[in-house]
Amino acid sequence: MESQVKTFLIPNDLCKRAGVAGTWASLENVAVFAYEKRNISQKDEPSHFASNDPSSVFLLRQDVILFHPILRKLVNESNGVFLSVQNVATNKNSDTKFELFKISRQYRSIIRACLENLQDEHTKSHENDEKSMLQNYITIFYSIECIWHLCEILFMDTMQGNFVLSQLLEWVNFHFPEYERNAANMLAENEIGLEEKPEYWDTVLGALLQGRIKLVRSLLKRHSSSDSSAFVLIEQALKSMPTFNGSCGSSLNEFNMQRRHWIMDVQSKIDAKMFSTEKHLDLIMRLTVGEEKAWIEVQDKCDVWYAYLAGWLFFTEPTVKSFELGRFAKRAMTKLRMNEHLRQLDKILLAAMEFDVFQVIKEIQHMYDNGWFVSHLTDLLYHCDRLSDLEKEVSDFSAEKLRESFVIDYGCTLMSHKSLWQVGLTYLDCCPNDGLRVIELILPRIHMETEAKAQKIVREAKNRELTQVVQSVCKVQGMLSMRRGRLGNALSWALKSQDGSFTSFLADKFLKNYLKLGKFDSPDILDDLGSGMLLSDRLIFLGKYYEFHKLYQNGDYKEASTLLISLLASKIIPKYFWYVLLIESIPLLESDELLFSSNATFTIMRCLEEKQTEPELKDKIDILRLALARNLSRALTYEAQNIS
Amino acid sequence: MCEAQEINAEHKDLIHDVAYDYYGRRMATCSSDHYVKVWDQNSEGKWILTSSWKAHSGSVWKVTWAHPEFGQVLATSSFDRTAAVWEEIVGELPGPGERGTRHWVRRTNLVDSRTSVTDVKFGPKSQGLQLATCSAEGTIRIYEAPDVMNLSQWTLQHEIQCKLPCSCLTWNPSLNRLHPQMIAVGSDDPNPTNGGKVFVYEYNENSRRWIKLETISSLVDPVHDIAFSPNLGRSYHVLAVGTKDVKILNLTPVDDEQSAQSGVTKLDIETIAQFEDHNSLVWRVCWNLNGNVLCSTGDDGSVRMFKMNAINSWKPVAVLKGDSAQLSHAQYNSISITNGSTSIPFSQTARYIKLGSISQSRETPWH
Repeated sequence: MESQVKTFLIPNDLCKRAGVAGTWASLENVAVFAYEKRNISQKDEPSHFASNDPSSVFLLRQDVILFHPILRKLVNESNGVFLSVQNVATNKNSDTKFELFKISRQYRSIIRACLENLQDEHTKSHENDEKSMLQNYITIFYSIECIWHLCEILFMDTMQGNFVLSQLLEWVNFHFPEYERNAANMLAENEIGLEEKPEYWDTVLGALLQGRIKLVRSLLKRHSSSDSSAFVLIEQALKSMPTFNGSCGSSLNEFNMQRRHWIMDVQSKIDAKMFSTEKHLDLIMRLTVGEEKAWIEVQDKCDVWYAYLAGWLFFTEPTVKSFELGRFAKRAMTKLRMNEHLRQLDKILLAAMEFDVFQVIKEIQHMYDNGWFVSHLTDLLYHCDRLSDLEKEVSDFSAEKLRESFVIDYGCTLMSHKSLWQVGLTYLDCCPNDGLRVIELILPRIHMETEAKAQKIVREAKNRELTQVVQSVCKVQGMLSMRRGRLGNALSWALKSQDGSFTSFLADKFLKNYLKLGKFDSPDILDDLGSGMLLSDRLIFLGKYYEFHKLYQNGDYKEASTLLISLLASKIIPKYFWYVLLIESIPLLESDELLFSSNATFTIMRCLEEKQTEPELKDKIDILRLALARNLSRALTYEAQNIS
Repeated sequence: MCEAQEINAEHKDLIHDVAYDYYGRRMATCSSDHYVKVWDQNSEGKWILTSSWKAHSGSVWKVTWAHPEFGQVLATSSFDRTAAVWEEIVGELPGPGERGTRHWVRRTNLVDSRTSVTDVKFGPKSQGLQLATCSAEGTIRIYEAPDVMNLSQWTLQHEIQCKLPCSCLTWNPSLNRLHPQMIAVGSDDPNPTNGGKVFVYEYNENSRRWIKLETISSLVDPVHDIAFSPNLGRSYHVLAVGTKDVKILNLTPVDDEQSAQSGVTKLDIETIAQFEDHNSLVWRVCWNLNGNVLCSTGDDGSVRMFKMNAINSWKPVAVLKGDSAQLSHAQYNSISITNGSTSIPFSQTARYIKLGSISQSRETPWH
């Protein structure tokens, strides 16, 4: 079995001598350090690696090229397209196939725009490192575009009758546009005698191998001897060459017959040495009839095997069907004797031509694009229903799972980035099996540099009804604010976290701070407590006491005293706060206006009897008793007068 | 393709354990030099040493972070027979601890063990703040801080006798509230005739006791590390074991009448992967966040990574090794700058070294 194991070397002598151990640091990073297992039954003494030469921890991270700002546009735009794929797939109708085909082209145009951008930067750049990095990116995305285009033709296009050649030629032309460009430049000069230009014949041949017959004719007409008989003959031959157009016109049989006649005619002219005066013309005609020797002659002229393949098929098998492509591709490779030294790209293209989708996916996941290509293409192929065949062939294989595993990996990669994490979430959202669980694991672990980011995370968790994540994030923020001494902030996070014991703890802090300073921290938060205070008894007390405090300060003594009595009657007063309430009742008892009824006064008295041993009351107890007695007499008198 | 940032850990002996906090932004290290050190990553990605203290009077084997909901809390276990819980305090008063300066305070010293405390782990946060330790004499202890806002009070809730010396333990991090709490413990007892070396315990709500569910009898070789995989809502649990090789086991609770009656879960245990790639004993196993990559450390001096593919089969994907290869001058410069401790910070920005990579299978690179 083919192994895909990569080895990474840590350049450190101690790591080499002692060996290394590893541990996960975060979503994508691994920490590695020099390590030797100590047996606990040994004596505990310094190891033979102990020294003043300190050991290091190496934090390894993957070099994620997608995080480079130059690729940001690709990441964001492809995200939009990805989401529209999901949209199309969930609202399936008769047009879905065509819609997905159009989407594939959108993806490719994003890659092309990215490539253009990279090219520009590459030209602009003067730094060697940057230049080679950009060149790397160009190579990667060029390959991706090339593979994607072929996959689009073979797996997504809705061709009539599976006739694939015209698209194949278009694909080659797309990737090797220089012949067309050269030809256009030459023709634009409007001169006769183009053969003086060194690239003339190469251009003619190149255009011919891409099946651009019209272009070839135009170029030949500009040859200075285009009036000679050989040139006239070739013009006639090429003009009358039957071309196959799979989608309309002549039927297959008709075309084949015409072509046979045409080849016989041209062959007889070649045999009569009618082109031998001009070796290039002779070669062209021999190529058009598919002569083996001629095709061997032009082998080296082809940039790549698939350009050769497309040209060769154009002249020998113009009605090739897509499923026959693999067979011809292999034959072309054998001809070019390149079976032994296939590049990665060649292998993938061959696999695609052989309709081995699984192999294509297997290969492209090892490209250095951090899974951008494999996740987006697999997703698209899945929705085009191109993966379901594999389920029958491979046991345990599930197309849905395959798609999901790539999309999850890609989503996680983005989640590890400090500003792309929300984009990552949209990918995980599209994974019906494990997506939400992965979000639940990763979302609360996103580093929250600011409260604003924490709010964002809370919002994303709420949108997905991940209540526990919401509460956990809020609790962590609350703890953080508390550590920083920002009590009000801590309390507002604690309220969101719905953590009763935490709010109790903070309420205690508020009350104790009040005892110390005589005023409340963050009164605005206490003003807005509302029903939030129901989280814990201590919080209710804080809220109610704060209300009392405010009424008292505003001079609403009547209401303040009613509230005071209801607080004293409740069972939620913290032990350390009793004396405060009792002492604060003194001025109310002594107020000119009668504020406490006899019953209310009895309540205070009962509390005082219970709490009279509180040390803080010691020097106030006599005054309080006096105030109570006086108030009681006033109240009783008043009540007696008003009964009748 | 892969790059490394070197953090000079400044320990005077080998590091036994490195632990990252919940966000991967704080790093704690512990060593045979009795010290624990805490590092923080600044906004430029550079790691700065923020605390260093002598935590124990013996080798410190393990260090681990509590969930940040409980504040900044660490636990350590040591050869000195103790485990300790540490909390970071932000100085409030001027004076020696200036406002904003931070230091770690020992909140408790757990001295119940009579032998080396070999492992220490915080329990899943849904159960409050719990701490499990295991020790060479074969006792598992579960501690709890009843008031999570007061970490100086810990009560020893349970003591489980394991009969064999314990080397490692792991809590099941299942997110499923229906799963009772579960702990797996490994023993490095060298004698195969003493039977299975991995024990699985479950907390039984009815009897309020930890009950042994299983001794995994297929694992008779010494076990050095053990780790439950993060659970993505699966009905079964995945356990990685570092023994003479790397093993990955599925533990599936069986719904049968017997277990329904007794209230004790019955497990169906199946080895789903086994890797002899280290070709030696395996010292450590560690899962990534979503449990699809396992990272193992072996006596061959290398770290190996195994990844699960879409058809649930595990494949080796990477090897990390030390290499004494001389660095180029430029690389060396960038490393000296990364040293967290250099008295004059040359740069606040983290520098990375590109790692050499060998691809064993592909002679034909992409470019």
